[in-house]
Amino acid sequence: MTEQEIATKEKQTVQGQEKTRAGRFFLPEVDIEELSDSLKLWADMPGVKQSDVEVTLNNGILTIVGTVSTEGYQKLAPLYTEYNVGNYFRQFELNEDIDAQRINASMKDGVLELTLPKSERARPRRIEVTAR
Amino acid sequence: MALLRYSPDLDRVTNLLALQGDLERFLRNPGYGLGVSGSGGFPPVNIFDTGDGVAVIAEVPGIDPKSISVSGQGHTLTISGERRRETSTETAGYHRRERSFGAFSRSIQLPEQLDLDKAAASYDAGILTVKVSKAEAAKPRQIAVKSA
Repeated sequence: MTEQEIATKEKQTVQGQEKTRAGRFFLPEVDIEELSDSLKLWADMPGVKQSDVEVTLNNGILTIVGTVSTEGYQKLAPLYTEYNVGNYFRQFELNEDIDAQRINASMKDGVLELTLPKSERARPRRIEVTAR
Repeated sequence: MALLRYSPDLDRVTNLLALQGDLERFLRNPGYGLGVSGSGGFPPVNIFDTGDGVAVIAEVPGIDPKSISVSGQGHTLTISGERRRETSTETAGYHRRERSFGAFSRSIQLPEQLDLDKAAASYDAGILTVKVSKAEAAKPRQIAVKSA
């Protein structure tokens, strides 16, 4: 896996979403893994600081919003551009029964890592078969 | 007037104008002279004029800054490293796999008046910023006028 070349995908803007905040919104790229007792989610949101990310779970809809400050760009004149800068927004409908109280979110180097523990009744369990 | 159905063959003028527009935009783009290798590669870079030099800004999320290499040779700036996937012990399955991982390297040919000896790199929240200032010789200077 070391010599693999990475390609850059162009950022996709969020379509068909009513916005309450100004600015452009892009879809962060995500990985979602399912473990036996939880879901793990990683979202690439370069430029988003820990204090500027919002994660909510409401009626089974997981919403991720990352705000990017474009203040640092005000004094700069672009010479060459390959990517656009803006906020991030993405929603997922979770089929799994998630224990909202125990969701853990952390942000490091522009990557959001979410651990969504499944609630007790959604976990797979082994049913003991007893002898009669 | 006959009614013509749309077909790409009939739309030569529009296509030609669009092509011309693209070409002009390409030639007008000051970045044309910057010589950036591997367009579309990772990480994507933006280059800005800071007044006293340039700032090369790249989106490289999820990488330990210690494992990003920024080097300069002559007038070429190279950003390289490797992005590794976070490891989890047991995986039942993937619902989404959109992020890409692997080794990367990008080189940028900078204009001659920039001095790579005076480059400074910083990394914050997945954004790498390399600032390169102009060489002393390329900066504007005031020449005193002496009276004869």
